[in-house]
Amino acid sequence: MGVGPSTKETTLHHFRDPLLKVVSDDKDIDLVGIMIVGTPQENEDKYFVGKMAARWCEAMRVDGVIISVDGWGNSHVDYANTIEEIGKRGIPVVGLSFIGTQAQFVVKNKYMDTIVDFNKSKEGIETEVVGENNVTEIDAKKALALLKLKMKGER
Amino acid sequence: MEERELRRLVIKAFHIINVKFSTKTFIDLKSKTLFLDENLLQSLNVDREIIKDARLSIIEKDKRNIFVNSILDFSPIATKVLGNLGEGITHVLTGVCCMLTAVDEEGVQVAEFGSSEGILSEQVVFNRAGTPSDEDIIIHLDVTLKKGLGTIRKGPTEAHKLFDLVIQEVRKSLKKLNGKDCDEKHEYVDKVQVGKKRVVIIKQVAGQGAMYDTLFLPNEPAGFEGGRSVIDIGNVPIILTPNEFRDGALRAMH
Repeated sequence: MGVGPSTKETTLHHFRDPLLKVVSDDKDIDLVGIMIVGTPQENEDKYFVGKMAARWCEAMRVDGVIISVDGWGNSHVDYANTIEEIGKRGIPVVGLSFIGTQAQFVVKNKYMDTIVDFNKSKEGIETEVVGENNVTEIDAKKALALLKLKMKGER
Repeated sequence: MEERELRRLVIKAFHIINVKFSTKTFIDLKSKTLFLDENLLQSLNVDREIIKDARLSIIEKDKRNIFVNSILDFSPIATKVLGNLGEGITHVLTGVCCMLTAVDEEGVQVAEFGSSEGILSEQVVFNRAGTPSDEDIIIHLDVTLKKGLGTIRKGPTEAHKLFDLVIQEVRKSLKKLNGKDCDEKHEYVDKVQVGKKRVVIIKQVAGQGAMYDTLFLPNEPAGFEGGRSVIDIGNVPIILTPNEFRDGALRAMH
């Protein structure tokens, strides 16, 4: 399990990424950068890169993190772990993921209380239709609004 | 509140309303037409041990009721005119989008976690950030890989490489256009918003191997050549500036 046709972000998606647009347009946010973390095959590597990402967040002294993933199933192992590593360090973190009915989290932790589900399909499934279950500007705005609340300590 | 400017990126868009085959590849701004060399594929260097066949076609906006193989990617046509990725000037074509599809010679779709082959108009939600708009003309590259190569890394990688070579031919003409003739101009500034909440965006991307890979920082926006693979660097986190990201620093390889 990994990235399906309806959730995968194409090169065009990255080129005009709605999440980047929403966060960089917000005058109340100092966007320090975009971190790219891969999804390794082996479990040991998944924990290694997740912890590394969290260490970077701590070192950058960020006030908040928005973490997005375009895969699910096995990819959620990495995702949950990275969120936990960030959360453990006391950094507010909000997620964006395809969940629907088919991709309920295989693992979960207490830091995953603010995840925006960007499923768009009626049945909540991987429809194999390209672009269907992708992040839109509305999803990104929801995530940023949640992060603002979390950073204020209101969530 | 204080704002500190770090760097500036200007993206100039040129709008295209026709794409036609011709004897050479060039852009005619007067008629807003992109001409594609009909023998383009023959002139490109392809690994015949991996790629059995490839076909280039133009799909008009009202001709999407056709069968296509599994969709690997949608890509913009953009090129650097000044500076490196994330700064300087980039030219981009609007009204046109590129699509890569692939299958192997035995009819096995190039896909891993579900495949998207079928009638194009039904297999894509158009007008999303990552898909063409209803008005876009689609330049379609359909690749047939040798038997069994669709599920190992070098198969899809070679298909993406060929896709990029095709786009590069258009980039060569796009580079030469006079920036003053652009239809739209967008300016983006990487800046420090002193005193505001510091936020980082993390994107978890594919890097499991086989047909799951992601390239970063290619030579050209949304390109392949010069890009490094997240698999090859062990999937460890890397940092990109907002302007690098919006200048096509990431290329999906699945």
